[in-house]
Amino acid sequence: HQTTLDEWAKDPVVDPEVRAHVYSLITALGGTGDDGTYALGDDALLCLKDLRRWLKFVDAKLNRHDVARSMAEANLVKGDLLEILAKVSEKLIHDKLKYKIALACLELLVHLTWPFEIDPDQATADHYRHGPYLQLAQIGYKRAILQFDRARILQTAVRIALPSMTVPLRERSPRDEGIIRIALYFIRNIAMLSPPNNVPTDIDEAEISRSTTIDTFHEQDIFQVLLTVASNIGEDFVEQDVAILEILFYLLKGVEVEKLFMTEKDLTSKNTDELKNLIQKEKSMLAGYARHAPTRHNRFGTMVWVKRDDDKVSTLSGQDFLGKTQRTMQKMDTTKKWNKPKWRGRKKDNDHERDEFDLPVALTSSARKHLTDFVEEFLDSSFNPLFMHLRKAIEREAERVETRHSRQYFYLVSWFLRAECARRRMIKERAADPRSAEVLTAEDESYGLVAEVMNQETFILLNRYMQRSQDEKAWQDLNAGMKCFTQILLTVQEMSESALEEDQEIAENIQNRIFYEESTHDRIVHILRDYKHQGFGYLDACTELSHVFLRMLERYAKQNVDLQVRSRRRARKIRKKQAQAQGVDDGGKAHVSETEDIAAAQRTTSERKFDFARFAAKFVNQSSVNTFISFLRYYRDLDTEQLKRAHRFFYRVTFKMELGVLLYRVDILQIFYKMIKGPEGLDSEAANFKEWEEFIRHFFRTVVKRVQDRPELIVEMLFSKIPATLFFLEHGYDRVMPTR
Amino acid sequence: QPASADLGIDEEIKVVKKRRPIPKLDEERLLSDAGIPRLQRISKERLRFKGKGHEYGDIARMLNMYQLWLDDLYPRAKFADALTMIEALGHRKRIQISRKAWIDEGKPRPPVDSEDED
Repeated sequence: HQTTLDEWAKDPVVDPEVRAHVYSLITALGGTGDDGTYALGDDALLCLKDLRRWLKFVDAKLNRHDVARSMAEANLVKGDLLEILAKVSEKLIHDKLKYKIALACLELLVHLTWPFEIDPDQATADHYRHGPYLQLAQIGYKRAILQFDRARILQTAVRIALPSMTVPLRERSPRDEGIIRIALYFIRNIAMLSPPNNVPTDIDEAEISRSTTIDTFHEQDIFQVLLTVASNIGEDFVEQDVAILEILFYLLKGVEVEKLFMTEKDLTSKNTDELKNLIQKEKSMLAGYARHAPTRHNRFGTMVWVKRDDDKVSTLSGQDFLGKTQRTMQKMDTTKKWNKPKWRGRKKDNDHERDEFDLPVALTSSARKHLTDFVEEFLDSSFNPLFMHLRKAIEREAERVETRHSRQYFYLVSWFLRAECARRRMIKERAADPRSAEVLTAEDESYGLVAEVMNQETFILLNRYMQRSQDEKAWQDLNAGMKCFTQILLTVQEMSESALEEDQEIAENIQNRIFYEESTHDRIVHILRDYKHQGFGYLDACTELSHVFLRMLERYAKQNVDLQVRSRRRARKIRKKQAQAQGVDDGGKAHVSETEDIAAAQRTTSERKFDFARFAAKFVNQSSVNTFISFLRYYRDLDTEQLKRAHRFFYRVTFKMELGVLLYRVDILQIFYKMIKGPEGLDSEAANFKEWEEFIRHFFRTVVKRVQDRPELIVEMLFSKIPATLFFLEHGYDRVMPTR
Repeated sequence: QPASADLGIDEEIKVVKKRRPIPKLDEERLLSDAGIPRLQRISKERLRFKGKGHEYGDIARMLNMYQLWLDDLYPRAKFADALTMIEALGHRKRIQISRKAWIDEGKPRPPVDSEDED
């Protein structure tokens, strides 16, 4: 710390006068008293208000950060604000002055912890100068607030807002609304702050990690507050929905849902399995290297001539490839120095946005437990009201809703749907265990708990949102939309297998609508085809969406006659019941004969089969093949489920659609070859190595056969195929166009 | 200034060395004798397949043929890079026309033949 005015004056980083003023205000605020605890200065409240004014009139008005920086340097948060809050928190409600002081502290805290973002349009040199310092300071604030041992700061914040929250909505003044907002945004800031990845920190990451945040939220009853506000949304709270949305988003993003709903034992065994798999993977990797490692020291100096056509030779040095043709070829390639310039991306500055929710977060077991409890309670009490309210706010484009909120909304919808499905599965498993005392609750509980996001209004909003983000090239938004849609499809799938007839009915209606909605089909095909440099998270999302979508349509189209007759019968029964309830006669509509049912069912199944074939054909083309190849290039990092997805796609292309010619390209052959034969191939112990090995062998056989039949493929194998010649290359004759 | 007074004799003549142009992998090169025609030739002469049971070996031989051919055609680039560059060339009009012609060459009978099999 600088101590004298002379030193300040020499330092050009902050305006010396500003710094002097802020420092004197902070000094006047208070300090260690006679009894060793914090003593408030005589005019503490005025000082706090002055500090607030400085932030407002110098920093905000002049678009600078001098005041915030001075406050960070003077240790205002930890040294004063938190101490003051600890001191007054007991007497908050009874003492008017103490209440005002606490409120003023909270106001300052919210401002200081407000996430620092550089807006390139408005930034001045000043922003870039103070940015890194302030970001680090904010991480320090978060740590101080979470780890403060003399008072529960978050709880104190809520207590400050409590009097205003208890006022009924209609009688609440703007000031009350403001106080509630401040408290919620304070919680939001704490949940949101995370160490910047471009600035090195010396703070122990565990002290500010997600787990610590969750533990603190639990300990200070913040979850209860969130539940109270969320479940009463629309009644006692209106404007607060977006704040809750943001808090949830920053708490839950990246958390792996499946792990939340596993028993401790399952999780341990899963983690052990994961570790085992990783060790196995590493072993096979090392074995792969060892197989080709030199057997003698590195100065042994072997030199080899490779004889080539036209009496040419290439020379290579080293011994790791001796006697192995493939290795020699590879070595010849890797010794080349030139690399084709890679596409590097237009903007670097939205990197943080790119992995906003595609980075997995690990939780400690205590945090996991607290979060699971919260999520369960949230689903039971608050999910429907909050998400309905938010949907309406987004539809209306309410003033408080910002662009990022839609993205967070759809991400959270997918997250909670996943959670609900995982929970139902867990309950089912437990109930199936004869030793457990659990009663079967999953079976007789409907999907009503998430009904508010499974209705037509949500689908319309989601469709519009996906279309718009695709048009505007807002890829991260589209990513969230795709995740949401995928999860809805999976939930519908599980619903259709529910024991409750009502659920089956709803699921069937939704599937029916999606099946015949051509615009949705086209959108999904387009998204898959248009992939280009959007990053792995996006690639994963778009391949998963098309995989799930196609599987759903296929299953739906394959639904046998039997099932449809049953569903017709069911629908009739319900209609009859309704008619009876309304006391109207349905005019004998319900009395259709069984044979008519069967005939109608047969008709629809064949229609659907045709429709599905039409869609599947749209889905398989050169661009979508390219997208899946880009995905497969990550094969070493893909998990079992992702590899399976790619396998199914290529299987469909080659053997179901008979368009293997789309894959007849040297680079694709090379990836396939490398995956199986290495070096750096798939682990041969991996779960789906076998099916890949088999598929690729089978595919290679057809390639060899085709090349022998049609030598012109040797040249065509270098290029993506032209539609005009595609048919000939696949079949060996031209398509006969129907003549009119 | 004095430069105009003494006719610029004293001015130093700057010799700008021109960089040697880097050879490009373009349509010219691809269509030249070392390009596609050579690939067609060597594939006919040298590529032999063993067939069933040797799928991976067969494909490896084929990949090696491509790699050596590309190394001769454009030694500067690595195999994967060269493949991407050639694939990109395949979208050019001129190459597309040639591709069509190469395929037609291989067809069992000329397309003029009106009697087409089904």
